[in-house]
Amino acid sequence: MCKEMVEIRTPFHEFEAGFNIIIELITPGTRVLDLGCGTGTLLSRLRDEKDVEVCGVELDQEKVIRCIERGIRVMALDLDQGLEGFPDLSYEYVVLSRTLQQLMNPEALVKEMLRVGSKSIITFPNFGHWKIMLEYALTGKTPVSSTHPHPWYNTPDIHRLTINDFRSFIRQIGAKIEKEIFILDNKPRKEMLWPNRRAEWGCCLISAY
Amino acid sequence: MKDASLVSKNSITRTLFEDFDGIELESGINLGPLRVAYETYGKLSESRDNVVLVLHALSGDAHAAGINQNGRVGWWDEMIGPGKGIDTEKYFVICSNCLGGCKGTTGPPSINPLAGKPYGRSFPRITIGDMVNVQSMLIDRLGIDKLHSVVGGSMGGMQALDWATRFPNRVRSAVVIAATARLSPQGIAFNWVGRNAIYSDPISACGAPEVNSELVRMGRGLAVARMIGHITYLSEEIMEHKFGRKLTLTDMDGIRYSLGENDSSGGEFEVESYLQHQGAKFMERFDEDSYITITKAIDHFDLEGQYGDLVTAFKSVKSKLLVLSFTSDWLYPTSMSLAIVRALQASKKDVSFVEVDMPFGHDSFLISAAMPKLTRIIRGFLNGVQRDG
Repeated sequence: MCKEMVEIRTPFHEFEAGFNIIIELITPGTRVLDLGCGTGTLLSRLRDEKDVEVCGVELDQEKVIRCIERGIRVMALDLDQGLEGFPDLSYEYVVLSRTLQQLMNPEALVKEMLRVGSKSIITFPNFGHWKIMLEYALTGKTPVSSTHPHPWYNTPDIHRLTINDFRSFIRQIGAKIEKEIFILDNKPRKEMLWPNRRAEWGCCLISAY
Repeated sequence: MKDASLVSKNSITRTLFEDFDGIELESGINLGPLRVAYETYGKLSESRDNVVLVLHALSGDAHAAGINQNGRVGWWDEMIGPGKGIDTEKYFVICSNCLGGCKGTTGPPSINPLAGKPYGRSFPRITIGDMVNVQSMLIDRLGIDKLHSVVGGSMGGMQALDWATRFPNRVRSAVVIAATARLSPQGIAFNWVGRNAIYSDPISACGAPEVNSELVRMGRGLAVARMIGHITYLSEEIMEHKFGRKLTLTDMDGIRYSLGENDSSGGEFEVESYLQHQGAKFMERFDEDSYITITKAIDHFDLEGQYGDLVTAFKSVKSKLLVLSFTSDWLYPTSMSLAIVRALQASKKDVSFVEVDMPFGHDSFLISAAMPKLTRIIRGFLNGVQRDG
């Protein structure tokens, strides 16, 4: 992933709600692997707030160094190469936050997550949001929004998926969604009417059957 | 921030020595007496828990930091010192010359007490494990039980790995830089060519000549070995950048220039004169039999072969590990570091891994331009190692 692309991602303060949800889902004292862990913000919170044994995977060199400086265990690896070397069920949780839509092959990685972790937590921007859909329909052009802040020709978000897409994808790979949480206006909601049209972000706890 | 360079300039670092009766080598042979040359920087804490052991590569020595009485700056002075990556205001740093070396620790140039003359090529075969055992004897002697970290690149990285593997209770962490758990056939091949250059040197062919004799000055085997080494330590990219196809011109009489002829005047291309210079310098500071002894030890380093497989080798590892490789290192490429990392992962060890983006090849960890990044990585990692762990 090229640097300038990564930097204009949703800034952390705007996604604190997402991190809060993930932290809430995780049982204290467990092992957590964060894929695309960035500078280790989520992991350092998990370590400090939940006494979790953490490990991150990140490709961007500068971010990897920041993780090491924060005392976070980190592996500089490319997620598109899979999780070779991580033993089966070696983590209670594998987290993929705001990265699913940027992978070359999401299916391969999500299957790897289910192999390595007992449970996986995935957050992703919902392209099915009514404003995006409306703009798409009215202008006929790929919309640029707060959840998808880049134009189509220069974006790390190479997949545009909806909450309904994700649900059927998880069913198709033989996994199950244990919990769904939706984010709208930086607020998490466990229940939402028409989430596919109203949620800005989806957050799912999934596991293998 | 204090001016780190000023502090190290003001004090002369001195090489110290410890003498031992001897050591039983892994081969079963007893080697003695044994002398170990080492230097220390910083202050040992009262609880003796702030020790970082720095491990040098093939041609290094105990003088890792500061300036010695000859005015020479330590080989990793940019990393070790007050406020630097391995901060001597926090850590007590020890660096010793490896067994088999020629910089004060017992090696081929040392006097064999049975023969009354230097061991030379009769020096027994040693291993990376033997080098580590000697380091462990040294820290015992210094009254140190547990190391905060062992840090080394290339051959030093092999030693760091061996430390973590065989002394799990003595090392809290290890930094393994540009290393491998087993030398590749390509690595063995380059070492073999280097040793062959030494073997086919005329002075080698007719036994040990007098020092300063005509033959010694003719002999270039070690220089050729070093040149081969240097090619493997650099990258294609950095050679292009540093030398390109530039020619070295020698001023004949102010009007005419000579492009030089190979061998006689140091080569016509700049890359040639660079290698020529490195080779000549090495002739002055290194011992050819040490070169043979140490490269042999490197060749035989194979944790995989020794334990059956790497996962088994690392079973008892307890230390936190940081494995670093360099993008441009084709001698000990990233795949070799990953083999270490994956074996450690398989038994759920605490390992971090970074393939550091550096264009300088295998030697990147010694290059000034790489220091800012490496400093942050190593400082950050050492900070994250718990002292009570």
